[in-house]
Amino acid sequence: MSLLSVQNLTTEFLSGGRWLEAVSDVSFDLQRGEILGLVGESGCGKSTIAYSVMRLLASNARISAGEVWLEDVNLTAASEDALQDLRGSRLSMIFQDPMTALDSLFTVGHQVIETLQEHLGLSAAAAQERALDLLRQVGIPAAEERLGAYPYQFSGGMSQRIALAIAISCHPQVLIADEPTTALDVTIQAQILHLIRRLLVEEGGSGVLLITHDLGVVAQVCDRVAVMYAGKIVEFGEVESIFSNPLHPYTQALFKSLPSQGIARGELENIQGLVPGLADRPSGCHFHPRCSHARAICRERTPPLRNAADGQEVACVLYD
Amino acid sequence: MTDDAKPLLRAAGLSKHFPLESGILASWRGTGTTVKAVESVSLDVYAGQTLAIVGESGSGKSTLGRLLLRLIQPSAGHVQYKGENIFAMNRARLRAFRRQAQIILQDPYASLNPRMRVGRIIREPLDIYREGSKAEREKRVHALLERVGLTSAQARAYPAELSGGQRQRVCIAAALALSPEIVIADEPTSSLDVSVQAQTLNLLSELQRDFNLTYVFITHDLGVVQHFSDRVAVMYLGKIVEEAPTDALFAAPQHPYTQVLFSAIPRPDPSRRVNWELPKGEPPSPLDPPSGCHFHPRCPQVLAACSSTVPRLLETAPGRRVACLLHEADKEPRPS
Repeated sequence: MSLLSVQNLTTEFLSGGRWLEAVSDVSFDLQRGEILGLVGESGCGKSTIAYSVMRLLASNARISAGEVWLEDVNLTAASEDALQDLRGSRLSMIFQDPMTALDSLFTVGHQVIETLQEHLGLSAAAAQERALDLLRQVGIPAAEERLGAYPYQFSGGMSQRIALAIAISCHPQVLIADEPTTALDVTIQAQILHLIRRLLVEEGGSGVLLITHDLGVVAQVCDRVAVMYAGKIVEFGEVESIFSNPLHPYTQALFKSLPSQGIARGELENIQGLVPGLADRPSGCHFHPRCSHARAICRERTPPLRNAADGQEVACVLYD
Repeated sequence: MTDDAKPLLRAAGLSKHFPLESGILASWRGTGTTVKAVESVSLDVYAGQTLAIVGESGSGKSTLGRLLLRLIQPSAGHVQYKGENIFAMNRARLRAFRRQAQIILQDPYASLNPRMRVGRIIREPLDIYREGSKAEREKRVHALLERVGLTSAQARAYPAELSGGQRQRVCIAAALALSPEIVIADEPTSSLDVSVQAQTLNLLSELQRDFNLTYVFITHDLGVVQHFSDRVAVMYLGKIVEEAPTDALFAAPQHPYTQVLFSAIPRPDPSRRVNWELPKGEPPSPLDPPSGCHFHPRCPQVLAACSSTVPRLLETAPGRRVACLLHEADKEPRPS
């Protein structure tokens, strides 16, 4: 049994009296001890998947089809009470802006200890001890003194370390990290990604769903990756195989648009046009109006994600 | 570029200290603490080239960009534009300079007036400088819109009706309206998705070719730097620690900070995974920078002298400068 299983998930947003699909029929499994990357440009639905899994969708959004299973628990059918117990203990999340996860009115120590007492039922003294331990693990210098500090007294990188300490405090089986390092400098990004890999995956055996727009981050830390475009997974597989041999025209175009040395200036390949909004997603393959390989059939048929080569899955009629 | 090419823009000993304790008393007493956002920066920007200024948050790169355009006053030093000190310019000279030097900012939404239509935003600089007749200005607006890949019809749109990439095109069109010589671009593509970033970078380099533009590109994205710039200045806590031609810098960074920075960039190549443990510690607060070399507490190659000696930015090869004691040893002795 896989750790987390997302099956035919469709999530919609209410807009102008209509329900519009943000995520359309998405399926994937997350295994123990792996980092699965969910990569795509703004508006592709990657964060909506995270919020659907956590059941933290806003009131104008709903899961209209599909199921999400955490081992033997059906998260899509779970009661709010059951979810409350699961979140923070078996299922945890960190966000792009660590300040959204921290309460500015309470000391950092209070917030870490509260989580420990709530979910693990530790005594005050034991929780304090464990909180210190956690802060040290995530690399907060002078942890004893810092327990009494407020979030505003920390830099962005330090705040993200604390958010991470809270997120891992109850040994979650699944961590969802939504652009956890996007707001941080590269040297701090490297440290945080390293911590996630070491503390959660290598030592904890947890699974991490890492949502990012940064293909460099995917290449450096993920084991497998799902490439999303306009609400759908267009390609899925091992990071090595997708980076060495991208199959979907969107994935190929995305890689070619990355600036790097060796490409003469002004010759970055770009994808014509824009990512369509929720209300104007095209028929058939959502990418067809921007695809250089598009044929008549692409307008009519929605290609399913299917096995193309060696565990690499692609949703494109070119590989039928 | 020939060796004797004159720089278009030249900064010398440029510093900017922001007082933390404001008010007349503090400044009179001279007791207020200051943040040394930019400290003794000297650099040259050559015509038709792109100079990238890279650094992490708090390195002073944006403050430096603003100084280069006299958007803020320096605490010390000067900037010469074609040999003339921009901080000594009178109103008329400054007005002429501002026409030649434009800026593009990171967040295209914040830099566009939400209540102005796109056409008026692009026309505004032409109105201010009373360029041509009204009809000629309108014509120019439409030509600019098309030049940056928008349609004439979009002149009637409000910024909110455009995507992030389209808004950045509007900012570019407005910056180019007066046919400037130099454009300072402060993280111009950081808020854009990669495919839109590629479109914007391509546009900027076409424009550079067509109009012989000079760019100062302020960015933290080393992929963009490598692809786009001719020269790079690396900043750490208000100072330039290394300056070099782009290819030489990427082939062999000399300053330990540049090396750490480069090793931390997540490269989109899973077969070359970096050592994630390498960069240690956080960038120190600019309020209380470390003594000596600002980088010494995080430096993997730190020497005993680094905590007390401020390294000088010295030439290590033609066109390359490094501020590090490791590279100073074989240079001329320090004046005692």
